[in-house]
Amino acid sequence: MLDPQPVLLLAAALFCIGLYGVLCRTNLVLILMALELMLNAANITLVTFSRYWAGRGLNAENFTHAHTGQFFTLMVMAVAAAEVGVGLAIIVAVFRRRHASEVGAATELKN
Amino acid sequence: MEVLFIISSIVAVAGAVLVVSQRVAIYSLLGLLVSFFGTAGIFYTLDAGFLAVSQVLIYAGALAVLFLFVLMFASDAPPAVGPLVTVQARKVFDPSKVELPQGREKPRFAVPSALAALIALCTLAVMYVAIMKLPASFKTFGELPPTVEVARNTQPRDAAQPVTDAVAFGSTQGMSYTIFDRFPLAFEVVSLLIFAAILGAVLLTRAQARNTQPEPKIGDLSDEARRAEADHA
Repeated sequence: MLDPQPVLLLAAALFCIGLYGVLCRTNLVLILMALELMLNAANITLVTFSRYWAGRGLNAENFTHAHTGQFFTLMVMAVAAAEVGVGLAIIVAVFRRRHASEVGAATELKN
Repeated sequence: MEVLFIISSIVAVAGAVLVVSQRVAIYSLLGLLVSFFGTAGIFYTLDAGFLAVSQVLIYAGALAVLFLFVLMFASDAPPAVGPLVTVQARKVFDPSKVELPQGREKPRFAVPSALAALIALCTLAVMYVAIMKLPASFKTFGELPPTVEVARNTQPRDAAQPVTDAVAFGSTQGMSYTIFDRFPLAFEVVSLLIFAAILGAVLLTRAQARNTQPEPKIGDLSDEARRAEADHA
């Protein structure tokens, strides 16, 4: 029988792999990819708790309540799609001006 | 279910490791794709069939292709400028033969990979402790009834008693009850957000394109038109 704790541990592992990628990569596109991994891990956690909640007596009254985690996952997917769309557009814009997609390519606002 | 969970978790973690370990960006993207499919399998084992399908459709179908297009577009720099390995990979058609730029100075604020690994491991340790300290009720997922009798939102007028549907947890029907009965406003707002994001993406890329390409002068004939004119004369 599947238990919540291994699933949560797996999500934590995926999150930390994504965190490592975000921290040590310098290519903007690769940073966005690692960010997607982290969002995916959060999604797994949400779905796990939704399933846990549903396993504590699902009936007609709390049916939509039990789906809240899954609905939130759907929203995260939509927001992630929007974020990647805008983020990749920014990367393309930076690339056209600087001919590099590195994090060090646009540092004017820092100084 | 358990076997499927083990297989998909191995696939998901292997894909994630590929994403952060590969030097060639296209390989990272393939790892991301693998990881998305693994996550879809995990969703399926958690009785979220609709989410598993939308994961494949949205992430593996749309997002990965978007990443692929940007990797193709935004990597035409000469190799001296950046570590855009994908450029050469595309020209040579064999990523294993790509020469990685040597001696390139790292950006000043790049976190060294050892420190990044340390931070990630510390985060993992904190999460591990937190997960292990969960109450005893988190030891098992409870049993799930195969279907639940949910009353329809719009009832027929001449019905003696409310009409119900047998809906399974996590199915498309169950998710539609949740979206359109309980969170209709959030659904509309998110559609607005995606619309704004589309407009923003188009605007960001269009404005740059106009600046970089010089407009052709009116009356400036192309070579072919000039040649056609000469032939005519």
